[in-house]
Amino acid sequence: MQIKIYHRRKMLIMAAFIVGIGLLLTGRLVYLMIFRSEYYQEQASALHERERSIKAARGVIYDRNGIVLADNQSVCTISVIHNQITDPERVISVLSDVLSLDETPVRKRVEKVSSIERIKANVSKELGDKIRSYQLKGVMVDEDYTRNYPYGTLASKVLGFTGGDNQGIIGLEVKYDQWLKGIKGAILTVTDARGVEVGHAAEDRVEPVPGNDLYTSLDYTIQCYVQQTAQKIIEQKEAKSVSVLLMDPRNGEILAMTNEPEFDLNSPYTLPGDGPIENHQDALNRMWRNGCLNDTYEPGSTFKIITSTAALESGSVSLNDRFYCPGYKIVEDRRIRCHKIAGHGSESFVEGLMNSCNPVFIETGLRTGVEIMYQYFHKLGLMEKSGIDLPGEAGSIMHQIEDVGEVELATISFGQSFQITPIQMLRAVSTVINGGNLVTPHLGVKLVSETGQIKKLKYEYHQNAIGRDVSDKMKMLLEKVVAEGTGKKCYIEGYRIGGKTATSQKLPRGSGKYIASFIGFAPADDPKIVGIVMIDEPVGAYYGGTVAAPVMREIFENVLPYYLGEQPEIINETGDGNE
Amino acid sequence: MNKKVNAGDPLMLLLVFGMIVFGLVMIYSASSYTAGLQYGNAFYYVKRQIFTVIIGTVMMYMISRPDYHRILKYAWPLYGIALLMLAAVFLIGTASHGQKRWIYIGPVGFQPSEFTKFILIIFLAAMCSAAEPLMKKRKGIILMFLCVMPAAAMVMATNLSTGVIILGVSFIIIFTASRKWAPFFALTGMGIAMMGVFLKLAAYRLDRIEAWLNVETHPKGYQTRQALFAIGSGGLFGCGYGKSIQKLAYVPEAHNDMIFAIICEEWGLFGAIISILLFILLIWRCAVIAMAAPDLQGALFVTGVMAHIGLQMMINIAVVTNSIPNTGVPLPFISYGGTSLVFLMCEIGIVQNVARQGKGGIS
Repeated sequence: MQIKIYHRRKMLIMAAFIVGIGLLLTGRLVYLMIFRSEYYQEQASALHERERSIKAARGVIYDRNGIVLADNQSVCTISVIHNQITDPERVISVLSDVLSLDETPVRKRVEKVSSIERIKANVSKELGDKIRSYQLKGVMVDEDYTRNYPYGTLASKVLGFTGGDNQGIIGLEVKYDQWLKGIKGAILTVTDARGVEVGHAAEDRVEPVPGNDLYTSLDYTIQCYVQQTAQKIIEQKEAKSVSVLLMDPRNGEILAMTNEPEFDLNSPYTLPGDGPIENHQDALNRMWRNGCLNDTYEPGSTFKIITSTAALESGSVSLNDRFYCPGYKIVEDRRIRCHKIAGHGSESFVEGLMNSCNPVFIETGLRTGVEIMYQYFHKLGLMEKSGIDLPGEAGSIMHQIEDVGEVELATISFGQSFQITPIQMLRAVSTVINGGNLVTPHLGVKLVSETGQIKKLKYEYHQNAIGRDVSDKMKMLLEKVVAEGTGKKCYIEGYRIGGKTATSQKLPRGSGKYIASFIGFAPADDPKIVGIVMIDEPVGAYYGGTVAAPVMREIFENVLPYYLGEQPEIINETGDGNE
Repeated sequence: MNKKVNAGDPLMLLLVFGMIVFGLVMIYSASSYTAGLQYGNAFYYVKRQIFTVIIGTVMMYMISRPDYHRILKYAWPLYGIALLMLAAVFLIGTASHGQKRWIYIGPVGFQPSEFTKFILIIFLAAMCSAAEPLMKKRKGIILMFLCVMPAAAMVMATNLSTGVIILGVSFIIIFTASRKWAPFFALTGMGIAMMGVFLKLAAYRLDRIEAWLNVETHPKGYQTRQALFAIGSGGLFGCGYGKSIQKLAYVPEAHNDMIFAIICEEWGLFGAIISILLFILLIWRCAVIAMAAPDLQGALFVTGVMAHIGLQMMINIAVVTNSIPNTGVPLPFISYGGTSLVFLMCEIGIVQNVARQGKGGIS
């Protein structure tokens, strides 16, 4: 048959139709490949790139003399990538052999079809290197760090520990987390659709930045001794806990802080004892709790230091004022007892403090008045948190000033009916004895970056919160307390010690539970160290003068020669740390 | 009949072999990674494709030798064989990708639907030409469509897109053979309406529509989504030969139906436009040969081949660019696939024979 004109026309129309569609599709391609290119490229990269993070080494924590208190240990994580294993039998035998694991679980993991399967974590570096030397395909040996605390229980509640993701959980590790943790690095690799890394594709590597090293004011030697002593006392007195804080009153640097029983930082989740525990997390939190600042207590007679300071500087009493103690004092309708039931009889203010006589201080407090008393609480930092660089500090629990009647004022005067933390108490006493400057208790001294950049840590410091005169008077008085008064069990020949005892009833009153405490400092005329010893619920004798003062003496006897005598230059260099 | 024998159409042969070689190069790039993983041999697919190309070339040469009229004479018996084969698929067919489309004779697999496309072009060219006077009437048109229906229906049962292509190619041949216009507009309208009804009835097809409209989020949009990532990543000039990342098992069937996405990723818009340009040139050569054909049967046959190549190219690229819902159609001459390539080459062989007998001067 011959081809007609309409045949030709229709052929051309069909060809044109196809070409037309081809051009439309070209237009669609132009849109996709030019205008949407960036979008799809981004989507594709996100799909292809796997970011493997590289842990940054966490900063080291040092004591004031450069002794390492917390550092990092290289460990390895062994894992297998199913798709990349070429010789499963050999992998199974090598891994179970080197890691001394049973073959069955290893086989199960190796044969499991998953993108990555972890065989064992926290493998020592030697074993990791050994496995690496076999060059097994599909076996990954990833290096990792774990936190290591060389001295285990040393200052555990102060240092704190870290969690699995290198984050601080308690203590300094939390407070300085952002400085210590450093910046994670990353390895960017291209993977195929199954997630297997493609060998020939270029690897982008972002190096991690190690964290800053933290230099603290803690003194390893003193801390060790203090903890040993506290442990011994816990056993002797069958006490619930023993807290000891030692601080330089001139600048607030904490030399030692313990709240025995401490725990092992290298296994912070191991609870003491082996009985069944009802609430595991609560038990852990209790174990980690630092009583020196997380808990409040009624300070008791040590608070007479504060009352005296307020009364003396405001002129409400003078040293030679005379008082009479019949063994009690009636305030409004209440009869408040002195600890000496027979009464101290006639005594001067100085004797009143030496005897720790309650009626004298009730009288003193009432004479001073609530306004002035509270004014001094403010000046001495008792109405605010101490500002210590540790997390979870508790605040004080005080009466509202409007609610303070005679009875309340009377009890406040000898340290009852309100609660503060031991660290607040120590801060206030430091201010009283250091010439009147309100310091901030602290542990962190400086941060040093990997490149050697030093950041000195600054803390609040209020000069002349109280006058120098009253400070001098108080030092003299408190030295007398130790030399001749209730604190004489802390007397050490050759040293000038000042201090004050306290026996606090625990609430509810009449429960027969006490906190025996003692605050002491030396040298009494120019204090370079101030400390508090608290024995919580001692069995048997519970008077601060009988129980706590000797502990402080034992500590001072051993610490003072080291701290004041043998290395006096440390004192002058405080704040610089030591390399 | 024109007895003068010229050299055929060397430009078309050049285009076809150019595309086949480019196809081999791209099949290697697109499949080497996955083939290495699956078969431990990066050349697995390329080797098979080279084997196919050799068979195809031999068949193309043999089929281009005898006068095409002698082949077209066997239109009825050939069509009968094709129908038998299609029926056989239902009985002894082997499933691939969830659909029975293959017949295996020993190790050699074979897709009757691809064979049917080739035979149908022969059949319609011969029939429409023989019944030329009848084709001027509506009766002829209906008759032709009725002849095609058994084959189209059987293919469509297992493979919608091949069925659509068979109907499309038939439509174009019948349209070209007929003097009439109106019935074809009516048919186009009916086709669109029927397509709508079909899509509404078959829920699993609707799933594809959903995936098409929400390609970025729909779970069944994975393949197209990956193809779009590949195309978009290409940009103007692409990432370079062999450097595609999407071929690393991200794009399923990267060497097959989705090969155009990898071309876009590696060669960019530049390469994509050149590929489309090659097809347009091929369509142009087909049109030239059809116009210069010695008689109507030859012209209709070449038009059918043009329609076959053109429709597959259109549908393939439209699927890859998410312009239409996903359906598996290979890109002619470039995609991996044995049966499709061999019969396409056979078609080219006959087209060459038509060209050889054609009036060389007209273009």
